[in-house]
Amino acid sequence: MAPGVAVVSVAVAMAIGVYAVAVIDGIAGRLVAGAGRRGVGVVLDPPRTVVLLLMQRRHRTERADAQGWALAPALLGGLAATGLAVVPVDRGTAVADPGTGFVVFATAIAFVMIAVFLHGWSPNSLFPLIGAYRYGAQALSLQIPFLLAMLATALPAESLAVMDIVEAQGDVWNVVRQPLGLPIYLMVGVGVGFWGPLNLPDGADLVGGTSAEDAGTDRLAWEVARAAMLFAIAAMGAAVFLGGWWGPLLPGPVWMALKTLCLLVVMVASRHLLARVRIEPFVVACWAVFIPLALVNIFVSGALLL
Amino acid sequence: MGLSAVASRVATRAPVPVFPVAGLGARAAVDDLLVETRLRIVDTPAAANVLLLAGDVPSGLAAELARLHDGMSRPRTSLWWTLGASVRPAIRCPTEVRDPDPSILVDAVVDVHRRLLTGELASSYPQLPDEDAAPWRGIGPYGQGGTGMTGGVPYGRPMAEVAPDRDGLRLDQLTVRIGPFFARFPTGLVLELRLQGDVVQEAQLALPAGDVPMSGVATTPFGDALGVPVRVSVLEVERARSHLRSIASALVAHQLGSLAQRVLRLAGKVRPGDDHEIERLHRVLRRSQVLGWATTGVGHIAPERLEGTASGPILRASGVARDERADDPVYGGLGFEPIVHEGSDARARLAQRLAEARQALELAGRAGELDHDPESPLESPRGRLAAGDLPARRVLPLIPSLLEGMEWGDAVSTVVSLDLDTDEVLALHATDPKVSVP
Repeated sequence: MAPGVAVVSVAVAMAIGVYAVAVIDGIAGRLVAGAGRRGVGVVLDPPRTVVLLLMQRRHRTERADAQGWALAPALLGGLAATGLAVVPVDRGTAVADPGTGFVVFATAIAFVMIAVFLHGWSPNSLFPLIGAYRYGAQALSLQIPFLLAMLATALPAESLAVMDIVEAQGDVWNVVRQPLGLPIYLMVGVGVGFWGPLNLPDGADLVGGTSAEDAGTDRLAWEVARAAMLFAIAAMGAAVFLGGWWGPLLPGPVWMALKTLCLLVVMVASRHLLARVRIEPFVVACWAVFIPLALVNIFVSGALLL
Repeated sequence: MGLSAVASRVATRAPVPVFPVAGLGARAAVDDLLVETRLRIVDTPAAANVLLLAGDVPSGLAAELARLHDGMSRPRTSLWWTLGASVRPAIRCPTEVRDPDPSILVDAVVDVHRRLLTGELASSYPQLPDEDAAPWRGIGPYGQGGTGMTGGVPYGRPMAEVAPDRDGLRLDQLTVRIGPFFARFPTGLVLELRLQGDVVQEAQLALPAGDVPMSGVATTPFGDALGVPVRVSVLEVERARSHLRSIASALVAHQLGSLAQRVLRLAGKVRPGDDHEIERLHRVLRRSQVLGWATTGVGHIAPERLEGTASGPILRASGVARDERADDPVYGGLGFEPIVHEGSDARARLAQRLAEARQALELAGRAGELDHDPESPLESPRGRLAAGDLPARRVLPLIPSLLEGMEWGDAVSTVVSLDLDTDEVLALHATDPKVSVP
């Protein structure tokens, strides 16, 4: 694929994904709240808010690290784009299909911690800094089960190329083959996207955490990057667990879009359904429960293949 | 029409980001703004264009208010929702809304925001001079000083120092002040903390002396009941509303804003005998884990420490069946029995309030024309109430030792679960600058 086409396709996919996150969030919020303005507000409020944030001036704190502050959302957005680029849309159709696609995605996920820490460090302010520290503890604990759950899907395909992982799900999807995988992946995916119950770095108890000092385009960029990351995680989940383009009647890309949407709804709606987790029990649960579970998942998947 | 004109027209239709400050007599009205879809209540001044001052914001908080204002991003303005208060806020508010009707306030906020974006209304100037609060006296390019970590708050800036943490490691420790406009706490509550990461190593209450005018403040039915007979059904519905609002604050602190909206809507419309609505709410809260792992074991207070300090739902959530209503013949006639919960943690306190809200609506449905006698003891939603005996004054001294050793997230859940009344905390600013810590 020509570089220009690749960049444009990823940008378009991200824009659609970010908008989908905003709309799903709006609908889920209104359903849970039980009333409120219905109709066009849900679809029009996100673009209106974007324009409002473009008009709002950025906020500056004393002796902030300006470069870091600007770089953090760009890094997070870039990581989301990198992750998204290796997700195949149809057989033979992906922006990039390296033999190590899985490793590329895993690396992007691992770097999210750097983006969040940088974002919290840069404003030189209390709540962002606490959020940054907190995400260090959170991310270290949850990225291992996340990647282990994903790694198990490479076993049946005997390949680290995402295209091969999807191809290997022709007769049975990985969600059936490895029932533990998808729940672990989704739960931890919510944490990697620091969303809803696992939004600890930008939590309500820190009145916004790493983004507490953000205004205008800073806030817009951060929110967009985070939504793009959620979308990338949902798309990859649809590819490696729900069989990607496989499905009857409809064309492959439509199946891929529907499955991604499905996972996105589950992840985004969690924000309105589940309370913020407590970090300490969560970290303990990651090490004591989810990592062993993810390992069991890998061993069982491997044993079944022998 | 130019691009910027189109942009501002589109932007004026977005929900308006508002940072509210609830002054005396304004907490309930400000909390209820969460359900307004045309506003977006934000937690931090940086995200807001409109600073909403509601009720009477004491002049003792003037310096902090100016700092709060300057923390907002431009274009910005302040708006005063009087709610019956007569003393102007310490910072200039170009717009005043005298009508207590929230829909009129929302119209005014949306209009102010529109004028701000189109340039009709000038963005307000900083209240404080644009200079460093104190000179930077370091050697590095960012003014950082010499070698090692100084610790404390030199020149008004918190600096880390090293101190042993709970695992015996020597790690950074930061001294900070949180409040008086921290969005999760009642207005006026200031905590001085020593934090390691997000673990509270040491906490102290700091309540600066200030001038709180008590005149012209909207009164609640419970305030009235100290002096004149008030319908029991009115008191009990008010109790249910107060408990529901407290639960909504807890939901916001647990990142369930949309569920909080649902609870606030319910609080606005409950009538005597609506107890089945609460039942349904209980199931939703259990499923969301707000009555589960999010609060279980958080903020445990040993029942013996509550002896002689807390009353009301906090005490009853520790298994002590003490309720002023039990000694009131009117309530006796209604078959009132105090509800208790075991656990004495944030979960028990939430469950206690939920159960009491349900019981209150049930009682209100049966109370008919009965009046509360002003001579009888009075149980407010936050415990025993008498002139000069405010529940918050008894609960506040518990906070410092309670928070020590907690993660900040749990500390916030704990303070929220104590349901401190903003009016009472602000009143303490005037009467008792130093709260004794046992």
